[in-house]
Amino acid sequence: MKKISLTVNGKLYQVEVEEDMRLLDLLRDKLGFTGVKEGCSEGECGACSVIMDGKLVTSCLIMAFQAEGKEIITIEGLQKEDGTLHPIQQAFLEEGAVQCGFCTPAMVLAAKALLDKNPHPTDEEIKEGISGNLCRCTGYAKIVSSVKKAAEYLNKGGK
Amino acid sequence: MSFNVIGKSVIRVDGLAKVTGKAVYPQDIYMDGMLYGKTLRSTVPHAYFTLDTSKAEKIEGVVRIFTAKDVPGHNAHGVLFKDHEVFCAQKVRRIGDPLAFVVATSEKIAQKAVEAIEVKYEELPAVFDPVEAMKDEIKVHDGTSNIIYHYKLRKGNIEEGFAKSHVVVENVYKTSMVDHAFLQPEAGIAYVEEDGTIVVCAATQYPHFDQLEIAEAMGVPAEKVKVINPAVGGAFGGREDITLQIHLAIAAVATGGPVKAVYSREESFVAHSKRHPEIIKIKTGADKEGKLLALEAEIIADTGAYASWAINVTRKSGIHVTGPYVIPNVKVDAYAVYTNNPFCGAMRGFGATQVPIATEQQMDMLAEKLGISPVEIRLKNAFTKGSETANGQILTESVPLITCIKKVADALEMA
Repeated sequence: MKKISLTVNGKLYQVEVEEDMRLLDLLRDKLGFTGVKEGCSEGECGACSVIMDGKLVTSCLIMAFQAEGKEIITIEGLQKEDGTLHPIQQAFLEEGAVQCGFCTPAMVLAAKALLDKNPHPTDEEIKEGISGNLCRCTGYAKIVSSVKKAAEYLNKGGK
Repeated sequence: MSFNVIGKSVIRVDGLAKVTGKAVYPQDIYMDGMLYGKTLRSTVPHAYFTLDTSKAEKIEGVVRIFTAKDVPGHNAHGVLFKDHEVFCAQKVRRIGDPLAFVVATSEKIAQKAVEAIEVKYEELPAVFDPVEAMKDEIKVHDGTSNIIYHYKLRKGNIEEGFAKSHVVVENVYKTSMVDHAFLQPEAGIAYVEEDGTIVVCAATQYPHFDQLEIAEAMGVPAEKVKVINPAVGGAFGGREDITLQIHLAIAAVATGGPVKAVYSREESFVAHSKRHPEIIKIKTGADKEGKLLALEAEIIADTGAYASWAINVTRKSGIHVTGPYVIPNVKVDAYAVYTNNPFCGAMRGFGATQVPIATEQQMDMLAEKLGISPVEIRLKNAFTKGSETANGQILTESVPLITCIKKVADALEMA
């Protein structure tokens, strides 16, 4: 067992973790962030993606102890306390980019990681930005249009 | 007239829960004192087997190991034929058949115990080619022919149709097995309510039927079984058959529950059905103008070790193999066949997805032989309102295929 501290969605946590525990298990089983999904356990599907120190990472390939001192953002950290959705979440809803929803939390975070760095992405850049995240329902078209719409909202100063 | 929904873009009811990460899929359910289950599955395609669970039982944290003898009611399930066993009793028929379900205090211990169960196989010759399987030299299920269904379609007289044809094209097409690969691997949790009602919470496409299958395997009336279907992370046909529902119910009743199980991606691949691969032998004839005169097809659908929806899927292939075209003379024989391959069932299109690979390539080849465009040959034969399909259905409602083909052709600038 090892004691680590990390920030999740702006809140500091001090937790004991086992050596073989993945960041994914820590977030889901120990801290209750079940918006983080496990789809393949080998970094292929992207459903477990979270933002760690500004970068999109697959939490199934990161050991919990590696998150020591890191700042993590999960889907649970995007909605404001008053219930206002993040513009990306709003755009996903409006564009119909959500079907079964299992890829959605990570897909929204992939869009956030992209738009935080590149506020005016081209279609190609959007496709590249979400290329680590698989979706089996939508065919991606509506996800791409959501990210474009979200960029417009963000560039107008949020919706 | 104005409508609330028709003609409007409506936000889906579960959209908010899904974009905020609050939607609950079965793996997201955590209950106090819950135990974890792991399935032991066969690693060979056709064999008699024996199990020795004694070492696994001694591992600290293992609560119980369930096998065929622990099924209280019928050790069988299946959407059309009850040809699946809840746990194989003596014989496995494919790689991935369930042999035992270990329940332990943690997932890790359950996994360790699964690996500690000793399985002795006495391997049997297996059959993987559906054409071979049709000879019935190796039987997948004792006492039953491997040919479990024959769909027969006859319309007009194909000999006359081909005799009158100016061009005839004949080929064999093969389609491959496909997995749904829905993003949420199978997961579930089961517990027993105070009045003895068994509750199984699992992502399924078929909760009312799951209830009956669980009740029959548990030997209880259906009203003593409750199936809760939380958010389903994709399915595409792959959640129409039982996977972990009955295992969880047995474990919850025997241990007092709650018992949870989550499949890995790898286990998900072997646990659920696939799209039927088909061998499609097809002969198509048309006159000088490109009007179809005759079609003859033989379709062999490999359903693997279990029937699942093979009958309906194969029938649908047999009907749709004409494509959306008027053909006066048609002869189709479609067969569903058991093999020792992974079992096949429902998947998007349900038999209608495989056959266009053959039908439409035939159309292109006929057009090429006649020196007309692929668009023209389709426009000459497409169903319209009032057309009769080969199986005798008169299409009385909207049939906008020609409009669609023309629009696509215009868009492609090839009309």
